[in-house]
Amino acid sequence: MSMSASSPLLAVEGVSVFYGKFRAIDHVDVTVGGGEVVSIIGANGAGKSTLLKAIIGQADRVEGTIGFAGEDIIGRSTEAIVASGIMLVPEGRRLFPSLTVEENLRLGWDVGRKGEIGFADVWHQFPVLLQRRRQKAGSLSGGEQQMVALARALLANPRLLLCDEISLGLAPRVVNELYALIPDIKRRGIGILIVEQDIERSLAVADRFYCLLEGKVSLAGRPHEVTRDLVIKHYFGL
Amino acid sequence: MASLWINQLLQGILLGGLYALFATGLSLAAGVMRFINIAHGDFIVLTCYVLLVLTTTLGLNPVVATLIVLPAAFLFGFGLQRFLLQRVVGENVLLVILVTFGLSIIIENGLLEGFGADPQKISGGWLETATVALGAGVNVGLFQVLTFIAAVLLVAALDLLLYRTGIGAKIRAVSDDVAAADLIGLSSVRLYAIAMGISFVTIGIAAGFMSIWTNFDPASGPTRLLIAFEVVVMGGLGSLWGSLAGGIVLGVAQSIGGQFDIAWQTMAGHIVFLIVLALRPQGLFPKY
Amino acid sequence: MNSMPKLILTGARVAFAAAIVATAAAPFLFSANHVVLLTEFMSMLVLAIMWNLLAGYADIVTVGQHAYVGVGAYAFFGFAALWGLNPYLSIPLAGGVALVIAVPTMLLVFRLRTAYLAIGTWVIAELLMLAAGKLSAWGGGSGTSVPISIVLSFGRVRADRLAAIYWLAFGLTAVAMLATYFLLRSRIGVGLTAMRDNEEGAAAIGVNITHARILCFLGTAPFLGMAGAIITLQKLRVAPPASFSIIDWTVFIIFNVVIGGIGSFEGPIIGTIIYFVLRQYLSGLGAWNLILLGSFSIVVILIEKRGLWGLVRRLLSDDLIPIAHKPSAKFAPGAKAE
Repeated sequence: MSMSASSPLLAVEGVSVFYGKFRAIDHVDVTVGGGEVVSIIGANGAGKSTLLKAIIGQADRVEGTIGFAGEDIIGRSTEAIVASGIMLVPEGRRLFPSLTVEENLRLGWDVGRKGEIGFADVWHQFPVLLQRRRQKAGSLSGGEQQMVALARALLANPRLLLCDEISLGLAPRVVNELYALIPDIKRRGIGILIVEQDIERSLAVADRFYCLLEGKVSLAGRPHEVTRDLVIKHYFGL
Repeated sequence: MASLWINQLLQGILLGGLYALFATGLSLAAGVMRFINIAHGDFIVLTCYVLLVLTTTLGLNPVVATLIVLPAAFLFGFGLQRFLLQRVVGENVLLVILVTFGLSIIIENGLLEGFGADPQKISGGWLETATVALGAGVNVGLFQVLTFIAAVLLVAALDLLLYRTGIGAKIRAVSDDVAAADLIGLSSVRLYAIAMGISFVTIGIAAGFMSIWTNFDPASGPTRLLIAFEVVVMGGLGSLWGSLAGGIVLGVAQSIGGQFDIAWQTMAGHIVFLIVLALRPQGLFPKY
Repeated sequence: MNSMPKLILTGARVAFAAAIVATAAAPFLFSANHVVLLTEFMSMLVLAIMWNLLAGYADIVTVGQHAYVGVGAYAFFGFAALWGLNPYLSIPLAGGVALVIAVPTMLLVFRLRTAYLAIGTWVIAELLMLAAGKLSAWGGGSGTSVPISIVLSFGRVRADRLAAIYWLAFGLTAVAMLATYFLLRSRIGVGLTAMRDNEEGAAAIGVNITHARILCFLGTAPFLGMAGAIITLQKLRVAPPASFSIIDWTVFIIFNVVIGGIGSFEGPIIGTIIYFVLRQYLSGLGAWNLILLGSFSIVVILIEKRGLWGLVRRLLSDDLIPIAHKPSAKFAPGAKAE
């Protein structure tokens, strides 16, 4: 499927996801290479988060193939998928509020692969978290919580990072801070799949993008190759 | 006269240790999985019978028998959660209540078929009869003191396990938000099973002490469940040290009530529980 | 293809209607022994209907409903035997006492959630049973017999007496069924059903769930109390462990409803019928009786959480007694593949 000689890190091929009889995702193809940032855009209910859930092994019924590092991971447990190198930064952060910052981060370290990213990197990257490491995660501000969620995912040393709506409900200044980290993650060879409502932000950072409309890919390409009007058209299905 | 009341108070506090042993496992399972194992008391009694068989037929020392039972109890609890309760967990608490309720009735009547209705007891030998003189005419049983110490140690050990170990952090994470745990690859299914396994280890320990402390018969389970439940609610849901406090409150209430009349012993416990529930529904030491 | 289920459904409805007619006239049709058995059946059915209303619709699982049966029994004895009130009048009065007891109980146990609430009701039942044992006028811990004069006031001839007590049980069952039917068809019932199937559903319909749950909890108490009074007329004794029997008035009832089908109008009826049929064969088994029923109910929960009626309902086009205003495709049995 891929145009490049080596197969991509993630190859979603002909994937459909069902909720009961409802087909939330309909024959979707998506690829992400190592060190590549790919954005999924689309309106509410287009199936963006569902696609991430299918990749991480949290969707009930999935058809098609999801290739990761050359192996089909459909049917594997989330635990196994995470251990093999995919980690999710869930929508709404989903920290464990009664656990300390450090305990939350350690969970990421425990579930993931062992690799080069360690606590020293996290404390260096997010000095504020070092100060707050003994604090309960529930007591942090939204931006700090999102930092913990991102750091938790990085500590799993993923080869592919899935980011679900990381800018949701955060001040623009905080979002800028978080997005400024992406080039560094990229440089480590980690593939990043970003789901965002915010088209501008999402396209600015992406190497490639897919637009979902009612569970199908309505447009795909490189951000600089498409006009804004074309994206809007396929976003809303006008 | 004063020494009589001091004696009753002391007996009540020590009885609270036994009650805390009944309650810690229930508190842990309820705190993590948000359901109450209605068969908790029956599993304690079932374990008492297992210990009875081990000590009488194999002639094992009760302490040795209890130590042998603990790993088996962990595996049993793990398997029970993994292969039976997990199938009904999550969608509706009603179903878990009903399944554990069914288990409770099955255990009670199974024991009745197997052992008859006669009360049983395991002899603790000299341990049971030795007393500690505290002066001023106040004596307490050595075994009762050891039970109380065991309860304190058990609560401390569970506290360390939950708050100082990696597995403890994972269990608390699942307790916080089970769906979020699954999203990041923490297997809630396995962690639930581990939590239930630990709960069953406490059941084994509770049975070890109860089988020597008091008589048991196949119908003893529900009383133990109600005690454990009252202790957990009075202590504050999910609070381990609260369970110790709740156990002491209940033990003292029963001990003082028992001074008047044997029926008042149980009633006083229930009444104190209801008063605490009315005045402090969050319990004496709320955790969350 | 659709005519077969319709035929079965029509057949079942005809059979149900015939059963109502037959049971209404039971004392004329059946032997005294059968009338006694049917009286017991009706009493158990009332308890099952009430437990199902709470657990299957109002999200209140109680393990302590024997409390109200016992309170009803003791109150009936008090009014009729101790204070010499009219025995017939004493039955609704006993229901009233159960209601009075239910109010403080509710205030206490509603502070607890789900499983905690379940055991909270059990604690209260234990306490009431222990308290009943302290009432010396009621024979204290060993209980006492109902005076013969009260028994005779229901009929001087045995057959008349059995018929009178039977019709009381039948009447109570009929009222319980009609009350449940109209409650479930009302806006409150629709709200409760919506809550059970889907958390957001009830809010959308605009029913205050807390009020609905209070109504159900308080509403079941007088029925349980009156059933306790009628049961006392059959047993002719009050005693703490028998009048407040958790096995008879709660454990068996829960198993019956679970096996028959929790959360359906038909479930308690089917479960109680099965219980009485099985009892004829299992009664010699002693403790195995409860072991089998307990195992059976666990298996039923694992296979079909809506019980035997849930299994049968997959084959039918509609409920035996239609409660839902319009069948919603999303929650229709069988819609879920697993």
